[in-house]
Parts: sequence; C-alpha cells; structure tokens
Amino acid sequence: MTAKIISRAALILTFVALAAVPMVVPMLSSPFWIDIIAEILIWSLLAASVNLLLGYVGLLSFGQALYFGVGMYGAALSVIHWGAGFWGGLAIGIVAAMLMAAVAGSVAVRLTWHYFAIITVVFSLILYFAAMSAKPLTGGDDGISFSAPQIFSLGDLKLSLADQSVQYYTILLVVAGIYALFSIVVRSPLGVRFVAVRENNRRAALIGINVYLTRYVAFILAGALAGASGALFAFFGRYASASYMFYHVSGEAVVWAIVGGAGSLLGPLFGTGLLIVLREIISAYWEHYLFVVGALTILVVMFAPRGLAGLWSDALQLLFVSKGTARSDNLVDTEARAQPKPATNVTRGG
Amino acid sequence: MIVRCAAGACGAEGANDIGGFVSGLVLALAVNGLVWGLIIALIALGLSIIFGLLDIINVAHGDFFMLGTVVALVLATSTGSYWLALLLVPIIGFVVGLVLERVIIRPTIRQASLTIVTTFGLSMMLQEGVRATYGAQPRRMAAPIEGTIPLFGIDYDVYRIFAAAFAALCLIAFFVFLTRTKLGTWIRAVRHDPETATALGVPVARICAITFGLGTAMALLGGAIAAPITTVEFRTGVDILPFCFMAVIIGGLGNLQGTVAAALLLAVMEGLVTSVTDPTIARIVSLGFMSAALLVRPNGLFSGATR
Repeated sequence: MTAKIISRAALILTFVALAAVPMVVPMLSSPFWIDIIAEILIWSLLAASVNLLLGYVGLLSFGQALYFGVGMYGAALSVIHWGAGFWGGLAIGIVAAMLMAAVAGSVAVRLTWHYFAIITVVFSLILYFAAMSAKPLTGGDDGISFSAPQIFSLGDLKLSLADQSVQYYTILLVVAGIYALFSIVVRSPLGVRFVAVRENNRRAALIGINVYLTRYVAFILAGALAGASGALFAFFGRYASASYMFYHVSGEAVVWAIVGGAGSLLGPLFGTGLLIVLREIISAYWEHYLFVVGALTILVVMFAPRGLAGLWSDALQLLFVSKGTARSDNLVDTEARAQPKPATNVTRGG
Repeated sequence: MIVRCAAGACGAEGANDIGGFVSGLVLALAVNGLVWGLIIALIALGLSIIFGLLDIINVAHGDFFMLGTVVALVLATSTGSYWLALLLVPIIGFVVGLVLERVIIRPTIRQASLTIVTTFGLSMMLQEGVRATYGAQPRRMAAPIEGTIPLFGIDYDVYRIFAAAFAALCLIAFFVFLTRTKLGTWIRAVRHDPETATALGVPVARICAITFGLGTAMALLGGAIAAPITTVEFRTGVDILPFCFMAVIIGGLGNLQGTVAAALLLAVMEGLVTSVTDPTIARIVSLGFMSAALLVRPNGLFSGATR
C-alpha cells in the first residue's frame, strides 16, 4: 500500500510542479525555461507513442517521426489554407496522423521484431523524401511558417498563444488530457490485450485475441500520440518542416522512451525531460552534446535497461523491503500493476 | 538536411558528341550505379554477416563507412599516400570492431531488441565524435589515379573503374575466405548452429567478436574505397545506411550472396531511374520496391540461395 501511495503522491506532485512552472520558474531562473518545459511536454508525447508500441505491445518502431511530421503539417496546412483555429488544427493534425498510421499500419503490423523496425523506418523515409521534394506544399527542408491562431475568444476574453503563460497552460492541458486518456486505455480490456500480445502472441491468439487487430489498433493510437505531439509542436514553433520526419527524430524518441522506462505510463515523460534538460545545459558549454546523449543511451541500456521508471520502482522496493514494514505480497502486486514487464523481455514474435 | 544521393549523377562529365549524349548518359549512370553497387555490396555484406551471426541490427554501420572515409582522408593527407591509407583503414576497422564488440555489443546482446538502441547511441557518438575532432566542413579527396577513359562516348574517371574492380576483388576474397579457410568455416558453423558449434569446440564468443570486427572492417574499407568519389563529412553514413538496409532486406536477412546481388540490382536501378528523374524520386522508387519485397517475400528475393 505504502509504495502505491508514494507513487500516487509523486504523480500529483509532478502535476502540481508542472502547473506551478509559469509562476515559479521566473523567480528562480530565466523565463526561457518555461518554453523548455513546454517543449519537453510536447516531445514526451512522441516518446509516449514509442512507449505504447514498445512497452505495451512489444513492437519497436523506428518511424514514429513520420506521424509526428504528418500531425505537424496537418496542423500547419489547415491553419494556412483553411484558416483553422488552434483546436481545429490540433484535431486535423491528429486525425491526419491516425489516417497515415492506418495506411502504413495495415501492412507494418503483419511483420514483427526486426522486420517491423525496418518497415517503419522505410515508410518514414519514403514520406520524408517525398515531403522534401514536394517543396511548394511542405517547404521542404526550410519548412513553412504561420502565425498562431487564437485559442479561445469569448467577448472581450481573448486567449492567444502569443502569451507565454497561456501557451504553456494550453500545452499542459492538452498533454495532461492525453496522458489521462492513455492511462484509461492501458487499464482497459484493450490495454490488457496489448500486454497479452506483447508477452506471448501465440498464446494470446489461442485465447481468442485477434493479434493483428490488437497491434493495428495500438499502431493507430501510437500514430495519434505522435500526431498530437507534432501538431502541438507546430503551434509551439509556428512552423512545420520536413526535416522533423527524418529517422533520427524517431531514434531520439526511442532513446527518450527507453531512458525513461518503456512500459511505464510516465517514464517517457521523465526520460524526455532528462535528455532535453541535459541538452540545454550541455549545449551551453559544449556543442557536441549528442556525444553525451549517445553515451548515456548505451549506459542506460547496459546498466538500467528498465530506465528511470525501473530505478524508481527498485528504489521504492528497496525502501520498503529494508524497513520491513510493507507486506511483500501487496508490494509485488503494486509493482506488477505500476510496472508492466520491462521491454527487454520482448519476445521475438513468429 | 540536404539529400545527398550516394548513387546520384556525379561521374558523367563532358559528353563527346551531342548525338550519343542521351544514351551515353543513361549508360554512364548505369555504370555509376554499378560502381556504387559494388562498394555498397561490400558495406552491406558487413552488415549482413553481423546480422546473420549476432542477430543484431547495427544502426551504426553507416557511420562505420563514414569513419572509413574520414580516416582514409586523414591518413592519406598525413602520410601522403592513399594506398597506405587503403591498407591501414580495414586493419583499424577490425580493431575498432573488436573493441566495440567487447565494450558495447557483448554486454547488451541478451536484450536483442535493444541492440538497435545501443547501436543508435553508438551512431550518435561516432557522428558527434568525428564532428568534434575532424570538423563539420565537408571535404573532397583528390583521386589517387587521375585521368579519364572514354566509355560509351563519355569521359569516365579511371579511379571509379579501379574502385569497382577493387571492391569486386574484396567481395570475391571474402567469399573465398568464408568457404576455404578454417576461420571462415567456423563462422559459417556458428551462423548455422551455435550450440552444436560450441559442443564441437568452436570458440563461439571469439568467433562473434571476429565477425563483428570483420563486418566493421568491411564498412571502413568501403569508406576508404569510396572516399575519393564522395564528399567526406560526418553525415555521409546517414545516406548510406538506408541503402545498405535495403540491400540486406531485399537480398534476405542473413543471405550473403543475396545481399550482394540486391546491392547491385538496387544501385543500377537507382542509376537508371536517376537518368529520367531526380535522385530523390529514385530513392523513393527503391524504398517502395523494398517494402514490396519485404511484404511479398519476407525472406528475400533470393531466398532459394544457400545461407
């Protein structure tokens, strides 16, 4: 019980801390960090989309940047050409990314393991090259920029992304809402099917789970997460560029998810946060921060393959086992629910 | 990021007469494709043996190629001899491969799905390491053999012909090594059945290390051969990697002869498609071809061939 209470308290604390950011950060440091934290929230959704596939369904996708890019262009183009607002652009971005994932996923989920990783990269590369050549529409490498639409207007009350705090709270609201939905999905019967497919797809098939359909649904939902991330990033940066569809972006998202801990709901948020904060701090002193990121990635896989989330649950366990107060059966139960098995045990599907 | 197409139109300079220009250009691009195809076959073969034996997808393989081009350029300028560099680069590659296998690959090999992530980390380290030491400026290397020969009505670089021939020679030498030497036989034995090989006294762990070293050496060697005909910078691996993967997939994962055949097929195809449209479309065509191959024949186009 205690471990569960601590985990819940940490969750609430995280949310309170995130909500307090625009008030507290300017007192401590430069308001520039508010934007960095907003950026972390946005990118963490891309890491969450990798996490949904790798941590819950056991599929390593190296092509989530494609759906990020589609969400980005969905939002940007609908604002530019159709005059869509913030919410409309966000919705169009997400739907466009889901459609893209529905098309790519219909073939990709038939493959597993190596082949799945490769086909997702290949699809993202095809669309990346296509977006790079379709300059009149996408702006290619340079991208296209637009001015941010209003979020909300009611009489005199007009909220716009131009205000840093409004922008931050809008992003926090959307991201928190999406995490809440994510948590509902993984606790639902569908989420149980995801884990069953990850653990053993043959047994899952034998007890009547449609393995392809389960993977397909997960793939489309992951596309929606990546699309939401891309659409938010488009509004955040007021531009969209094809360079975000490159496979290095997908690779970074995989790194964030693994460093945070694949298979845990909020692990990727902390993984993304850690790496982006590291980037900001290191790049101020040394421009080759990616060298450190690469080394850190290798070290995490070697020594903490369950990532930050794994370290957290190990720490909780250690704390309560050493005190000897917690009833061990309860703790294990909490562990099992809070921490679905680490992605390292992903079985190689047939 | 600029799309720098490896098999792009970069060798067809100066047509002799306007009449034969178009057909000459098409042929020259096809030959260009063949030259690149042979070099890429060598690199992709390195990727393929690593995959076949260790069951890992080495995302850093393109950066091994890049390391080969950079080390070749640095050695050639510091020693004054390209040929010395060509000799040293694969040896350096073998040692680098042995060290990396021991330090990074072996501790993580049990988590096979995560080796993609570790090699991605390695790829970042290699790119940033080269950028920090060698610099971000793209450079070009003077061809060690100068001059051109007339080929289909176009003056074609002699060095490119040499590069193709040398890469072909290395490919043949590798297959001879694999089938005619004790070490090669051991490598094939471990690929085939590691348990039985262990029981028969084959040092499996050492064979895995040697194979990773060989695969790395082949990528660096490919880089040393290609250095005079491509730009030398920290990002070239990013372009080579998808191409190598396409060759490995279309040839069939772990099928070595298939990898070589697919690399040649793809490069010539890209060369020909480039003659009618731009290199980006050519790349999209090959990627589309690859997804079709992956879905229709997941074991590769040449799955009948021996492993």
